[in-house]
Amino acid sequence: MRRDLGWWALLAPAFLLMTAFYLAPILQVLAISFTEPTPGLGNYERLLTNPAVQRVIGTTLRICLITTLISLALGYALAYVIALASPRARRWWLLGVLVPLWISVLVRAFAWVTLLRRQGLVNQGLQSLGAIEAPLALVWNETGIVIGMVHYMVPYAVLPILGAMREIDPRVLAAARGLGASRGTVFFRVFLPLSAPGLAAAAMLVFIVTLGFYITPAILGGGKTLMAAEWIKLQILDLVRWGLGAMLASVMVVTILVLLGIFSRVVNLRRLFGAGA
Amino acid sequence: MQTFQQDCIALAERRFRRGEISRRTLFQALAGLGVAAPALAQDKQLVMVNWGGLANQGFGEFYGAPFMAETPGAKVLQDSSGPATGRIRSMVESGRVTWDLCDSSASGARLLGKLGLATPIDYSVVKREDVIGPGFAVEYGAAPYSFSSVLVYDSQKFPDGPKNWTDFWDLKKFPGTRLLRRDATCTLEAALMSMGRDPAQLYPLDTAAALKRVAELRKNLVLWTNGSESEQLMRTGEAVMGQIWHTRASVLFKESKGRFKYVWDQGLLQAGIFVIPKGNPGGALAQWLLASMLTRPEPQVGLLGLLGNGPTNPKAAAMVPAELRQFNPTDPENARRQVVLDGNWWGDNYQQVNQDYLDTVTG
Repeated sequence: MRRDLGWWALLAPAFLLMTAFYLAPILQVLAISFTEPTPGLGNYERLLTNPAVQRVIGTTLRICLITTLISLALGYALAYVIALASPRARRWWLLGVLVPLWISVLVRAFAWVTLLRRQGLVNQGLQSLGAIEAPLALVWNETGIVIGMVHYMVPYAVLPILGAMREIDPRVLAAARGLGASRGTVFFRVFLPLSAPGLAAAAMLVFIVTLGFYITPAILGGGKTLMAAEWIKLQILDLVRWGLGAMLASVMVVTILVLLGIFSRVVNLRRLFGAGA
Repeated sequence: MQTFQQDCIALAERRFRRGEISRRTLFQALAGLGVAAPALAQDKQLVMVNWGGLANQGFGEFYGAPFMAETPGAKVLQDSSGPATGRIRSMVESGRVTWDLCDSSASGARLLGKLGLATPIDYSVVKREDVIGPGFAVEYGAAPYSFSSVLVYDSQKFPDGPKNWTDFWDLKKFPGTRLLRRDATCTLEAALMSMGRDPAQLYPLDTAAALKRVAELRKNLVLWTNGSESEQLMRTGEAVMGQIWHTRASVLFKESKGRFKYVWDQGLLQAGIFVIPKGNPGGALAQWLLASMLTRPEPQVGLLGLLGNGPTNPKAAAMVPAELRQFNPTDPENARRQVVLDGNWWGDNYQQVNQDYLDTVTG
């Protein structure tokens, strides 16, 4: 008991520092949602009554879900290939997955604009091949946003899935084959269930990160799609309705905490973030 | 969202990099955003806040330095944090104000004044007769420069192009993507004029009708949030016409040798308003700084030559070289074809109306 107390005392400075300079200011900002323009729950009432607020939440959830699903599908396929590759090839694959992570999100968004616009590489290529007559609307809409966001999120999906796949004992698969299962059966009844924790972890990670996307939608959306982060920025800096902006920020923080809470019950968080099993 | 001021500086930097203008011209013109001096400065320091880029250096050399020379004991510092309305609010409310003069807007000035966050302009120091119209010297700010939101179009696509906002809204006669700023100011005025409303009787705006009109364009709309974006969207043929800042429109016009044309008719003339945050550390000296910005026509003309910002001093238009007059929004010939934006109406209604506009165009 006394020894425990000593450990807590050692933690105290870090704890106080975080509280004073990180948690307290954040809570102070979030508290504005209860005090402005009038004290009370007026801002939160708008969650139920204001179509504008509901729409920005709906748009954000829709885009994040679509992005998560596509990123998972691509990420799973990629992780599968990487997991089965030879060690040498695996290094190259991993490098290919990681390199985009190091490129600025701004650069990537502008690169997508160049590729996807009406007179961009993709449209001109397709047109010169005769595949399409008029340019496709690939950017300045939600399609463009999803393309940009998926590109950003695929590495985040690959890594946890790959981690789970590499923990699968190959002998289990061999045993299944030996017992007469077809390749398809082995995949769907053995491999997929065993890699499911990685899939769940990837889903949660990707979804949470996409909730806060700001630059990619702003550049690729042609101004027509407002997601939560940009909407909050508009309320705070331009419209000066801090109460409303702080309300949505609070909702986002709580949503993410709740998601993490559920997540930690489903998946072993310590293991996911690299702590000893 | 990028403001007009940020965009001007971006534009200047680019022209400077391309070697289209010399460093000297650059700074001369940047200094066009003001300077002169009173005698009440004793060891006082003023902080001017701009939107970044070359403004910092340019204002320091050609704005701060002359003021310091003329005003013994005064010191002018530059800050490029970008004085968004929300940032000014957080500074004033925290009680630790470090800014003296901020490059804001007409609606920003009204909103800040209403919230008790700005100092009223002292018109015994700042001279109302130094500006061309009442909208340029308002209760909580004054404008040393002007700009306009005009109709630009690609004459390669439409040799007989759109002449006004009615044509802009005519998707049958002029099919293709349009650009609007993702901001209700100027957009709603254009929408109302497109319906044949009298440009002289726009205010108070019929926002319901205007928003409905904007919604008609939704499928053919790309919304820009910074000036270089609007320019690039026109240049690359993503859009066939747009409502963009005249500075960007004239760049397109010159660069394309007239392929991209723009019309002053029904353009929205706006004031580049500076505000003084409440409780600014430099006190009344900031009023003198502002006064000197308004009173000198020469640097204002220099600014026009560089960035295209229109002068607001009534003596300036006559000093503009003949070849520049077509690009000057406050040239009498151009000004009479435009509509002056009512900053006070917008200051009173911006929060609600801009939210409604965002709801109309996004989703």
